This record gives sequence, structure tokens and C-alpha cells, in this order.
Amino acid sequence: MTRPQLPFDRPNVLDIAPLYDVLRCEAPLTRVTTPAGDPAWLVTAYAEAKQVFGDRRFGRSHPAPQEAARVSHAALLDGPSGNYETEEREHTRMRRLLAPAFSAPRMRRLAGRIEELTERCLDDMQAARDARPGVAVNLHELLAFPLPVLVICELLGVPYEDRAHFRQLSGRIGMIDGGEDARAAMAEFRAYTGGLAEAKRREPGPDVISDLVAAQAEDPTFTEDEVARLAAGLIFAGHETTSTRIDLGVLLLLADPGRRDRFAADPEGEVGPTVEEILRITAPGGLGLLRYAHDDVEVGGVTIARGDAVIISSNAANRDASVFPEPGEFDPDRRPNAHIAFGHGAHVCIGANLARTELRTVFPALLRRFPTLRLAIGVEDIEVCNNRLTGSVDEVPVTW
Amino acid sequence: MVTMKVSADTAVCLAAGQCALMLPAVFDQRDDDGVVVVLDEEPPAELHDAVRAAVLGCPSGALRVDER
Repeated sequence: MTRPQLPFDRPNVLDIAPLYDVLRCEAPLTRVTTPAGDPAWLVTAYAEAKQVFGDRRFGRSHPAPQEAARVSHAALLDGPSGNYETEEREHTRMRRLLAPAFSAPRMRRLAGRIEELTERCLDDMQAARDARPGVAVNLHELLAFPLPVLVICELLGVPYEDRAHFRQLSGRIGMIDGGEDARAAMAEFRAYTGGLAEAKRREPGPDVISDLVAAQAEDPTFTEDEVARLAAGLIFAGHETTSTRIDLGVLLLLADPGRRDRFAADPEGEVGPTVEEILRITAPGGLGLLRYAHDDVEVGGVTIARGDAVIISSNAANRDASVFPEPGEFDPDRRPNAHIAFGHGAHVCIGANLARTELRTVFPALLRRFPTLRLAIGVEDIEVCNNRLTGSVDEVPVTW
Repeated sequence: MVTMKVSADTAVCLAAGQCALMLPAVFDQRDDDGVVVVLDEEPPAELHDAVRAAVLGCPSGALRVDER
């Protein structure tokens, strides 16, 4: 039997490829071919996804990187990263350094500012509509993209005026078939963040990049390259992912008028569970997260050999019917709703609290301002970008 | 009546802070390193479901809940 090759075709932007369900029914792990043409394990079941995420014998580095299976031709999650010998130590240092900046108390202090920035984006939506009545407003361009960028710029101390620059670089870095161009964009991105770090060394501010350079000054093993790489990762992860969740969450809420009305009737009461269900069911990205086995490990009845690549599809695991009954149905009343949209274990998304704070702000604000908001085209007419790591959409045309 | 006892292993905690965001009445984080602080070791019954959800969602497995 030929191995299925990622990325799998999906019917529309709100559903995942039906093949994930088919594979999960057969076994929790499947041998697949990566977009780069190499073999890998694909995890589609919830329990095994959590197990792999939680087992430190799976890392992002590879014992012999030149022999490692390649996943894609993007410049992120394309293959092994980090040094096999020092990965755990460096990762622990990075988490210690960054965790306080994304803590719940810090995020609560930031919430008021996120509300202000959201209102500003909503003003821009209203202005766009007033300028051209009768023409649909692109919510992606005026809210879903700019809001997370404004927030991450403030938090990291990145000039908002540079957004067009890092937007095009992020886009190129995340192209699954990007190859040489994706790598060139990554080099440019690191040169850009290296310059930012240099500026913060001269003139520190109350921001995360200043914290990074201050920590670097204390630690001789912490290189300038490492600072530039981390800062680039934070900018990339800090806007692309949240933008996509806002786009997909709006599409989901507006795809069914009953759903929208229920939410709009009590946004404050509904927002917590609604955001969790949006995180569970929306499925950005065509691949999943990547690990390499650092030892022979038994998972789900198979032995993953040392060095094998493992792709964990959180999107598929979050629709595992043995954990989430009627997994394809949007149901904010699910209790518990222990999805793994942010991953699990040592590498769990460090920005989860930031993302939740933004999502909990944006949906209520949007539907309070525009309670009759609706899609100007059908969900099935929204183009799916399956060749990007974060699986974003470019257009969410709305009207009210 | 069920009593619930909440504890956290600070050596295992990864400082992801998801519990402190979801349930600030019971969990907080230290300022300097983000490690979990249990504010209410015996939370009231109306919070029990939320506490169980926080334990289930904890990415590091640092949280423990004993019910009797």
C-alpha cells in the first residue's frame, strides 16, 4: 500500500481532511510521506498525541541531523532544529526566561490595552464600510491580521511601522514549498531581529526583546544568533497563529446565524467556553507539529525507532470521537474540553495565555459592535491555503 | 459532601500558566519565574468542575487533586 502524503485535501476552510478520521479508525499512528517526500509517523489519535507531546524522548533535534527525514520546504518545522546534545538545557533556559512575560497576571494587566487596540480595529472596519457602503469589508485585513500584530509589537517592543516587512517575510517562511526563498526570508528575518536586539542593547525598553538581551548579557553561552532566532520565532508565532484563529473563529460563529445570535445575546457569559471550542475545532495548518525520537519508543502499539520523524496532528487529535463526542459539531457546552490546540508537555505553546486573552477580547467586542454581522460569501467559497504552515485565509468578507 | 484538596508540584511545573488564566480564584503564578501558586487549596464545590478541567488541561502534569 502506498503511504498517504501530506498535506491532505480538505473540503473547506472549517473542516479537516476526512482522511484523518479514516486513518485514526485504523490505528492511532500511521506511516505517511511528508510533503518533502520522506517517511514519517503521523499521530491522529488524542491519547497518543498527548503521550508523544509529554514524552521527553521526543525532541526537536535529531541525533544525526543530516540523515533526518525532512518534512517540508518551508523554513520552519521543515526538519530538525537545535543541538541534540544541548536541546533540553537550551529549551529549559528559554522557557524560564520567557514564561514570566506570558504569565496570567501579566496577560490580565495587558487585557485593557488589547481592548483599546481591538476597538481601534473595529473603528477601522466601520470607517471602511462608511467609505464604501454596500461593499463587503475584509475582516482579515482590518481586524484578524492587525490586532495580533499590534499586540505582539507592544509586548516585544517591535516597531509597528515594520509590519509590512515582517508580514511578507513571515508569509515566505511559512510556505511549505518555499525552499530557497523560504530560507532566504528566514535569514532576512533573523537579520532584522538581530538589528532590533542591537537597538535594545543600546536603549532597553519595557519589552520582551529587551529582557532577552539583558539575559544574554549575563550568560556567555547565549549567542546573538540565538536571541535573533528566538525573537523571530516569537514575532512569527505571535501573529500568524492568532490571526488565523480569529479568522476561523469568525467564520465559524457566522456560518450559522443561530450560533452567532446565541453568542451575541450574552458575549461575556459565552466567551470562555466558546473560545475553547473555537480552539478545539478550528484547524489551521496543513501538517502538524514535528518531533524526532531520541530513543526507540513504543506508542500506540508500534515501535518508533530512534531518529524517526513524528508529526503530531493536534487538529486530528482534537476531533478524536473517543474523547470528543460528535467531534465535527461546534458545541461550546462540552465539559470538559481538554483540547490540545496549544500542544502539551514541555513544548506547550508559551503564548497560550496571550492567545486566549486576545481571543476572549476580540469576539465579544466584535459582536457587541456589530451584532448583525454576517458573511458576505459562503464558507465554501473562502479559499483554503493548504500550502502554508499556519493555513491562513486572506479574505473574510463581512457585512452588517 | 465532597471535599477537594488541590496541590501543585513546583518542580514539575512548566510555568505555562494556563491554570492561572482559566481559574484565577484558585491558581496564580510567581512573579519571577511564572511557577504555579495554589491560592485556594480547598476550593468551594461550585469550582470543582473548573478545577478538574484545569488539572486535565495542565500541560506538565504538575497539578494534583484529591477528592474524598
